[in-house]
Amino acid sequence: MSITNTGNLGPLILQSLAPAMLYVPTPTMNYITIADKVSMPANGGTTCRFMRPRALQPPTIQLGNSGIDPPAQVPQRDILDAQMAFFGTGCIINEQVILQDQEGVLAWISERLAVAMRQAEDLILRDYIVSAASEINCGGGTNGDNPTNFGLSDFSLVSTTLDSNNAYKFMSGIEGQLAIGSGPIRSSYFMLSSTELQTDFDSLTGQGVFNNWNYPNNTSALPSEWGSIYNLRILTSSEAPVARGASANGQDVYYNTVCGKQAVTHINQDGYSMNLIYRDPYYSGMLAQNATLAVKFAQSQLLTQDTAIRNVLSTRLSTQF
Amino acid sequence: MAEYSRLASGSILSAGGQTAVICPFTPNFIEITNTTEITAASGGVTRAYWMTDMGQGAAAYVTTGAGPANGSNFVSAATGGGFTTIQAALSLQYGAKILLGASGGIAKTNGTTLTVTTTTAHGLVPGNWVIFQNLYETSTIGMQTLSGIPFEVLTVGSPTTFTIGWVGTSANLTAITAGGLNVNASFKQILYPALYVPGVAFPWTITVSGGIGTVNTTAPHNFQIGQEIAFRIPSVYGAQELNELPNNIIPASPQYFYVATVPSQTSFTFNNAPGITAFSVANPAFTTFSGLRFAQVVATGDVNSGGYPYTGKSLYPSPTVFNGYSLNAVSTINGPGIQGAYINATWQGFIIGATIAGALNDQIYWRAYLHDLNT
Repeated sequence: MSITNTGNLGPLILQSLAPAMLYVPTPTMNYITIADKVSMPANGGTTCRFMRPRALQPPTIQLGNSGIDPPAQVPQRDILDAQMAFFGTGCIINEQVILQDQEGVLAWISERLAVAMRQAEDLILRDYIVSAASEINCGGGTNGDNPTNFGLSDFSLVSTTLDSNNAYKFMSGIEGQLAIGSGPIRSSYFMLSSTELQTDFDSLTGQGVFNNWNYPNNTSALPSEWGSIYNLRILTSSEAPVARGASANGQDVYYNTVCGKQAVTHINQDGYSMNLIYRDPYYSGMLAQNATLAVKFAQSQLLTQDTAIRNVLSTRLSTQF
Repeated sequence: MAEYSRLASGSILSAGGQTAVICPFTPNFIEITNTTEITAASGGVTRAYWMTDMGQGAAAYVTTGAGPANGSNFVSAATGGGFTTIQAALSLQYGAKILLGASGGIAKTNGTTLTVTTTTAHGLVPGNWVIFQNLYETSTIGMQTLSGIPFEVLTVGSPTTFTIGWVGTSANLTAITAGGLNVNASFKQILYPALYVPGVAFPWTITVSGGIGTVNTTAPHNFQIGQEIAFRIPSVYGAQELNELPNNIIPASPQYFYVATVPSQTSFTFNNAPGITAFSVANPAFTTFSGLRFAQVVATGDVNSGGYPYTGKSLYPSPTVFNGYSLNAVSTINGPGIQGAYINATWQGFIIGATIAGALNDQIYWRAYLHDLNT
């Protein structure tokens, strides 16, 4: 007896495409979250200029009874310049791909280009902050490196530094409630950290350290928010800057950006913030074979309050995941 | 018809080792002609070329001696020293770790110089930036107090020696010498150290005389005359009077200075400097390196309103930066900008490797292609 099986009578078409595309792993983009936003006008040259007045000396000397006016003060201002830069990327797609592929190729490539553009926007801000904001090496940890791993005193030191510099906090506090395991959350600056440091943060939980699930209510917690330590609310991302093997003892160094309001400003070009450009194959060669799909944008960035931002450099307590 | 190809050409002076060429794309074919070596006919590399399928670091090249003694050569990707394409876009990228090795060390040469010796060739050229790790002579003495700071390679004495700027007479430093823990001492080249400028710089001397402050930094500061700057100096180093905050005259108002002159890429002067207590990088003891914070100077603005000066090329030049591949400032790919403004200095192109770059200041002509099709 012969049995007909798939070995001698296989399906005509072996594959079926699953109904939905799989997700694309995408890091959380925290740097754009904390940036002030300014638009540079079109036809306004290459450089966006900011002005910040300086404080005048408070008149703390009494006038006395001489009738003579005190010396006049000369007001001063600080000028900050940032030059606009242009970015873009795209794909050249042969018409046969568009014609024959079963998926909506142009649709999902458009989506990927948009995400790539947004990620570029964030990475540019990230790298700019790495280069421009001054550094505080952690010294409160116990691993004997430079910088050390985070100790509680490091969180306290950086928020004290920003407080002493009269930086503005981003978040007001959260009052405590009668909920087991929760505690009041202080008004806070943001600290942007690597997801790789979450093991170190977890090891500190319970010492004035709250995961966002231990907030009295976490409605104000951002999606990337790990939790709160003293006056810092920590946002984590896998794209946070890490200098691999760069510590004194050769371990990875993490750049944790702590900032207040207006510390960093993102500048877009009016009318050029993001352009998604589809060019029909008609505009390619003689036989009109290739379409193009691209994004371009213009961006600049600036530390608008250099006193309100620090990169806190740390290593990890344990290098084992 | 080549519809999407990219073609570019230009000329550059060799750095005597790895020589960076900025190009508006990353090519898949590169060729160079070294006219200095052609004229010399002394066996140097006169022509070299690379196709992407050879692999990064490979090159085919021609050497030319007197008479007919020409030779065709090939350096493989595994060996390296040929062409490498690069996209200088993301910061905190490093080259391979180079151990000082059994016969390596760091000598305290004089009051302004440390001399680094490696056991194998370091492959650096003046203008490269490096960062050190594991600078122990023994477990309790060494040079860990300068680990973690970026340094510019000032001179290259030989394939196994180079110098950096630091107070080589500092009492807190013990020379790293052959034998012992020196084998673990290492450094890495910082591949793209100046993607956004001006940034943070690390002073190793600060002096004040007659109201003029003079600062030397470990790596190029990329400041311009008229740059507004602020100091952040931990108390252990002294010179607290320069710090941005606190301000005892107007509480909460930051103290800024303006750059008056820029004698070199790693030095500048500023006016209206107050009298200071002595600044010294010799103050922190070696044993305090753990958690040590470094003195820093940062750009906070500028008072300029004009662009970069005309130098015989573009009427409206792009900003220039010291980008880690030369002792000279190189033009960026920006449009005209204000001197002292914050700029994006990301770039792409290729590196002419040490095997084929010829000698310092050799005249090199290059062509680079990105073809429509590579099979």
